[in-house]
Amino acid sequence: MANRPTLHVTPWTAALMAILVMLAVLFLTPTVGVLLSSIKTTRAIAMGDLWSIPGELFLGNYAEVLWNPAVHRYFVNTLIVTVPATAASTALGVLAGYVFAKLPFRGGGILFLAIVAGMFFPPQVILVPLFRLFNGLGLIDTLWPIFLVHTALGIPICTLLMRNFFATVPDALREAAILEGASEWQVLTRVAIPLGLPALAVLATLQFTWIWNDFLWPLIFTQSDEKRTIMIGIVNLKGQYTVAWGVQGALSLIASLPTLVIFLFFQRYFIKGMTMGAVKG
Amino acid sequence: MERENRFWRVVLLVLPLSVFAVFVVWPLFSSFWYSFTDWNGFDPNYAFVGFDNFVRIWTDRLFYGAIVNTALWMVAAILLPTLLGLALALLLDRQIRGARIFKTIFYLPICLSAIVVGQIWTWIYQPDWGLLNAVISFVAGEPFTHAWLARPGSALWSVIVAWSWQQTGLSMVIYLAGLTAIPSDLLEVCDIEGASPWQRIRRVVVPLLIPSTIVVIALSVINSLKGFDILYIMTGGGPFHSSDTLAMHMYNESFKKYLMGYGSAISVVLFLIALVIIGFYFRQLKRLDEIYG
Repeated sequence: MANRPTLHVTPWTAALMAILVMLAVLFLTPTVGVLLSSIKTTRAIAMGDLWSIPGELFLGNYAEVLWNPAVHRYFVNTLIVTVPATAASTALGVLAGYVFAKLPFRGGGILFLAIVAGMFFPPQVILVPLFRLFNGLGLIDTLWPIFLVHTALGIPICTLLMRNFFATVPDALREAAILEGASEWQVLTRVAIPLGLPALAVLATLQFTWIWNDFLWPLIFTQSDEKRTIMIGIVNLKGQYTVAWGVQGALSLIASLPTLVIFLFFQRYFIKGMTMGAVKG
Repeated sequence: MERENRFWRVVLLVLPLSVFAVFVVWPLFSSFWYSFTDWNGFDPNYAFVGFDNFVRIWTDRLFYGAIVNTALWMVAAILLPTLLGLALALLLDRQIRGARIFKTIFYLPICLSAIVVGQIWTWIYQPDWGLLNAVISFVAGEPFTHAWLARPGSALWSVIVAWSWQQTGLSMVIYLAGLTAIPSDLLEVCDIEGASPWQRIRRVVVPLLIPSTIVVIALSVINSLKGFDILYIMTGGGPFHSSDTLAMHMYNESFKKYLMGYGSAISVVLFLIALVIIGFYFRQLKRLDEIYG
């Protein structure tokens, strides 16, 4: 990054700026559209008034969404699945990643590759057997299958990122601790994990976002409205209020709020995870 | 010492490996088994039907449509976000006022769910008051407006544009990471030798970004194979199956028509396609490791 020309206002930088601003406006437009829809009455939208800046704020759509008990349920269900599944998949990734990084063994490389490959498969491939498994266990239309499947499907990326992180922790640190009489478990929990907190933050933000945003598994494993998660809720509401665009817009925004907040606060971690997971295949 | 290591290996790996085995590996293999049966999703009795499901795939017109759409979707999902992401990364990889804000704007869509993205773009394409038709009727007049998602000719492409909007930020981020790895003295040499900015990009920067490009392309392909949510909410594979992809077709056959055996056969095909791509990807990565160390 060093030795780049410093900033002068030249025709070139001005043109560049203009291009960037235009692209940014273009990129923001869809999101602004939803924002606008959420503060307008359905009638105003249907009259073709969606894309103007409103004279007054109409909050009826938000009231309708926030006071809807079904929406509360969607939120609670999504949290009940997302938080434990994020924690569980990260924890399992820590365990496996530690072994692959610090306790290498013959065949470990192949095993590691086999696990990481799981990251790349379309989840549709395991849909039918999982449906049969959970059907047999009587767990269809509960939140258990969603939690279990997300935990399992998170293992590849969590193992990959944690192994890559633990590989950067010097072996000497571990050996010193072992010589001092620490057990492997103590090395992991007292040395490796405290050092790995930034990597854990990366993982947690990624996993939370993916699980929160997921649609396929709740669609397959739940049936009653009591067990639906928020993304299914958006689709359901779309069916219930076919033309209540404002309400749909408000719900879409509220449903995106947790991941948006996480994203804006943990941007650095989030992007690091995205690129790390992607680059270090 | 080694005995202790062995003990800890087992203790630490038993939980992750068993969860992975039960909920990922085992279902993967049972998919192969179900693809040879006529299981309907609830009946405990089902029959082994040999290769019937695979024979059926050959004659399934919808399957052909889905495979063509998946291929189209993949090619577009490679070209659009990759080129746009590269362009944005090149524009933003310099000291520029507000670079951080621009980056945030371009990758913001990544954190939205496919469902929300689909919902947002359904608004854009809405035939009566959607932005696209509003702009078109303003510029070219009413007769040129179009029911984007309701016509077989445009439904798939409309979804691809929405998808690219979301994915561009990801390739931009990967390219930006790749750009920071380019040694600055190399770029200085370009300046000293009098290379034009275009030559610098074309002959030096882009070739050095090949590793990033491989990652971006592999991710696009893999993500597009998984593409389901956004289609589900925007078109549901319609109208008249014109935007069906393999993942969508598999879902319809298994969970709408309850042909779980046949659906499994489709998912086996999906698996094989993914396998080829992943094999190719790992090979490229290995080759890159050999070249770049």
